[in-house]
Amino acid sequence: MSSPVIVLTTLVIQNISLMFSSSQLETIYNQITPSIALVQYSSEVTNQITGEISRRDGNALGLIVSADGLVMVPGFVEVENISSFNFRVRLNVKGEEREFSAVKLRKPDDLNIMFLKIDNDENIKFPFAQFIDEPLNIGSIVAMIGILGETVDYARCITTAHVGAILEKPRLTYCLDENVRIGFIGAPVINEQGNIIGVVGFDLSKAEGGEVYTRSGHPLVYQYALFKKYIKNPPAVQSQDDEQGAWLGVITQPLTDDFADYWNLPKEGGLIVATIVNPSPASECGLRVGDVIKNFNGTPIKAKYESDVTSFTKLVREAGVGSTVKIEIIRNKEPMTLTALLGTRPRKSSEAEEFDWESVGITVREITPDMRIALSIDESVQGVLVYRVKSGSSAQIGRISRGFIIQAIGDFPIRSINEFKTIVKMLEDKRPKEITLFAKIGNISGFFRIQPRWEK
Amino acid sequence: MINIKEFNMLLLRFLFVLLLIIPVMGCRTFFNGGVLQSEILKAKTKVVPALLHLNPVKPVYTLGKKEEVIVVGSGFVVSKDGYVVTNEHVVGESKKVKCILSDRREIEAEVIGTDPFTDIAVLRLPPHEEYAFVIMGDSDKVQAGEIVLAMGSPHGLARSVSMGIVSMTDRYLEDPRGVISVFNNFIQTDAAINQGNSGGPLINLKGEVIGINSRILVGAENVGFAIPINIAKEVVENIIKYGKVNRSWLGLNLQEMKAITEDINKQGVVIADVEIDSPAYRVGIRSGDILVAVNGESMHARFQEDLPQVRRKLATLEIGKEVELTIQRGDKEEKIKVIPDIYSPYKGQEVEFTEWGFTASEITSEMMKRLRIPNKNGIYISGVQEGSIAKISGLLAGDVVLEIESQSVKNLEDFMNVYKRAIDNKQPRVLLFVQRGVVTRYVLIKNVKEEQPAIKIMEEGRSTPHE
Repeated sequence: MSSPVIVLTTLVIQNISLMFSSSQLETIYNQITPSIALVQYSSEVTNQITGEISRRDGNALGLIVSADGLVMVPGFVEVENISSFNFRVRLNVKGEEREFSAVKLRKPDDLNIMFLKIDNDENIKFPFAQFIDEPLNIGSIVAMIGILGETVDYARCITTAHVGAILEKPRLTYCLDENVRIGFIGAPVINEQGNIIGVVGFDLSKAEGGEVYTRSGHPLVYQYALFKKYIKNPPAVQSQDDEQGAWLGVITQPLTDDFADYWNLPKEGGLIVATIVNPSPASECGLRVGDVIKNFNGTPIKAKYESDVTSFTKLVREAGVGSTVKIEIIRNKEPMTLTALLGTRPRKSSEAEEFDWESVGITVREITPDMRIALSIDESVQGVLVYRVKSGSSAQIGRISRGFIIQAIGDFPIRSINEFKTIVKMLEDKRPKEITLFAKIGNISGFFRIQPRWEK
Repeated sequence: MINIKEFNMLLLRFLFVLLLIIPVMGCRTFFNGGVLQSEILKAKTKVVPALLHLNPVKPVYTLGKKEEVIVVGSGFVVSKDGYVVTNEHVVGESKKVKCILSDRREIEAEVIGTDPFTDIAVLRLPPHEEYAFVIMGDSDKVQAGEIVLAMGSPHGLARSVSMGIVSMTDRYLEDPRGVISVFNNFIQTDAAINQGNSGGPLINLKGEVIGINSRILVGAENVGFAIPINIAKEVVENIIKYGKVNRSWLGLNLQEMKAITEDINKQGVVIADVEIDSPAYRVGIRSGDILVAVNGESMHARFQEDLPQVRRKLATLEIGKEVELTIQRGDKEEKIKVIPDIYSPYKGQEVEFTEWGFTASEITSEMMKRLRIPNKNGIYISGVQEGSIAKISGLLAGDVVLEIESQSVKNLEDFMNVYKRAIDNKQPRVLLFVQRGVVTRYVLIKNVKEEQPAIKIMEEGRSTPHE
C-alpha cells in the first residue's frame, strides 16, 4: 500500500509583492500543513545546581522532511541537562489522525536542530516538506506555519513576519523582526514565491555560543543550506555508546592567524596542544604542550576557530579504538611525525556511573575527566562526587552537600565508585550505628559523622 | 523634644531591659528608675571622648581596576599617645585615614598596621598632643545577658549609641571556606549594629571596652558580632611593635573532636587536613591524626568554638625553633618533632596593569585555600577590565599566569620585567601560558591599543561556516 509522494513546494506567486494576500496564505496553509506533525515526548531534566532529576512531558513541532518519515524537531528537545525519549509523532495521514513512535538520531553539533525517524513499519509515504535554496533580503516577507497550544487542539496556524536583520557571521542567518510563539520553533519558513526556504530556529549551536532557545530571544531563519546535508544523509540513531570511541587525551586550541603570526607559522590553521592528560595516548606518544597538530592520520587539520575543535574531537573519536595513527606536528618550527596508539574515550559526565546509597541519602558519581575540567578537580584528587543529597536524609543532617568529594569511609580510602560500592556493601551487612566520611570541599578537607538509617 | 512614638519605643526598650536585669538588681531599680539610666549615661560619657568617626579613602581592586573608595567606619583611641583601634576591613590598604574626633576636629591618622585574619587595624593620631582614651576591659569575664552599648557611626551617623545585651559570649562564625576568623570567636549582641559601626567599641556599664563591633548577620534583626577585646589586645600589641602580626605555621587544618566522635573522654584535636609541603606534611603528619599535645601542653577541642584557642597556640610558636607534637594515630601515640615556619600572608601584593587592563596578585597559601587557586607557581589574575586588551585577548579573572614569553613566572617581579619591556618596545604580540582550573592554555595578548582592537578582534574571534 502506497500513495503518491506529495511534493509541497509549488510556485504560488509569480510577482513579488510586499505582503501575502489572504488567498495566498490559504494556499500555502493547505499545501504545507500536512507535513507538520505534533511531536510529544518525555524528558528527564537534571537540575544543574542541585542535581535533582525530574521528569516532564514536552511538545514540539515536527516537520516531516522525507517520505519515509524523517522528522526535523527544534534543538531544545535535547540539550545538556535534558534527555528526551518516548517520542510520539502525531499527524494526519490521508484524513486520519495517526500516532507513530519515533527514535531520535544523533543531534548535529553544528546546528540547534534534531532529527527523529518514524518507525515506519507500514511503509507509508508521508507528505513531506521540500526545501529550496533561495536567499532572503532585508524586508523580505515570510510566512510560517506553527502549532498552537493544547487548549486549541494543537491547531496549525499560519503567520507572517519580515526579515529584520541579516547576520553574515558566524554564518549567514536571517533574523526575523517579530517574536514567535514556542509552537513556531522549527516551523517551515515560506518566501514570497511560496517556497519553503528554511525553518525557524534560535541560537545556532553550542559551539557558537548557545543551544537553549531562550538565550538570545531572537527568532532566526535556519536556511536550507545549513541542514541540507542532514536530510540527504540523516545522522545515525543515537545509542548508548555514541560518545565512546577513540581517545587521544589532549585539549587543544585553534591556531588562529594571530598565533600563526606570533610563531611565524603559515596561516593555514592547526591545533595548538594546550593541555595533555596524563597518562593518555597523547602523553605516551611524546606529544607536548605547545606542539601544533597539522595532520591527523592523513586528514589535514586547518582549525582556525574554536568551533573547529569539535570537528577534531569527532575525527579522533571515529579513528577507531586501538588503532595506530600518525600525527604530524610542528615543534619549535620543525615538522615532526608522531605515532600514537589511540585509547578508549573516557565516559562523559552525563554517562558517569551513579550509585544511590539509600541508607545515607546520597547519590554519588564517578569522577570523569570532563568533570575534572568543569569542576577543577585535580588528577591527584581521588574519590567519588556527591551528586545529590536527599532532603531530610542522614547525610543532610551530617552536613554533607552536593559537590563534596568523598575520599574515605571510616578507615577505608575511596578511590573509585567500585571501591565505594564495595565498602557500602560491607557496611550494609555490618550496620554500624555511625560512620565517618572523609570528604574534600574545594581545597579543604574534613570529617563528617553520619548515622545511617539502615533498612530493616 | 521627643515624639510619642519614639517615647513609647524608648519606654518599651527600657522596660524590656529592666525585666532582664531584675534578678540582678532587684525590684527597687524599677521603682526608682534612675539607677540604670545613670549607669548608661556614665558608661557612655567615659567612652565618647575617645570615640572616632573614620573616613578612609581605601584602595580597592575591582573588575581589573584599582579604584579608591570612600568608606565610613568607627574607631576608638586606646592610648594617651594616640593609638587608634578599628577594623582591618575599614582601612584596607590605605596609608592615611581621616578621623573626626568627638570634639569634631578632623585629624589625619597614619595606618600603623593591619591584621586581616582577626580584622583588626591600628592607626596613630599625630603624636603632639594627649588624647582621651578608653579603658579596655576583660572580655573573658563577659557573661551572656550583660548590658552593653555599641558606639560608632551607623550608616555614617557619627557619635551614635545603641543598647542591648550580650547574647552569647563565644560564637564561632563558621565560614565554609574555613579561612576567616580562624583565631577568634565573637561576642554576639543584640545592641543595634549597622554598617558604619565597624571598628567601634562595644562597652559594658563600667565604661570598659569589651569588644570591637565587626560583623552583622545579614537578613537577621540585631544579630551583631564583636571581636573580644582580649584577642584585640594581643594583636594590637604586635602591630604596634612589628607593624603586623607574625604567626607561626605548621600547615595543620583542624577540626573539633565532635566531628569524629561523641565520646567526651577522647582528648585532642582532629587534624582534618595537612597542607602539601608544609612543615607538618614533611614530618609525616596526615589527615586523621589527632593532635594531643604541643611541647607537652595538652590540646583539646571538643567543639568548634574550642578551635580558635588551639590555633592561636599553634600560631604563637617560635618560628624556626623545633617543637614536639604528640600525635595519636590509631591506638598509638607518637612524639613528632617539627620546625614551625612563617604563617602565610592573608593575601599577596596586588598590582594594576593599566595598559592591558587587568589586576594581578602574588599567590599565598591562604589565597589558594580561600580562592581555590590551582597552582602556587605563577601570578593570579584577580580581575580583567571590560573592553581592555587583556579581555579582548581572552585572559580571564581566575587564570594563573605560568609563563610570559616562554619565561616562567614565579612572582610579580618576573612578570613585570617582561611586561614592561613589551610595553616600552611596543611589542605587537605577547604570549602568556596560563592555568585555568585544571587545564592549561595559551593566551596571545595583542599589545596594541591605538588600532581600536575591540571591533577588529571581536570579528576575528567568531567562527565561520562549516560548509
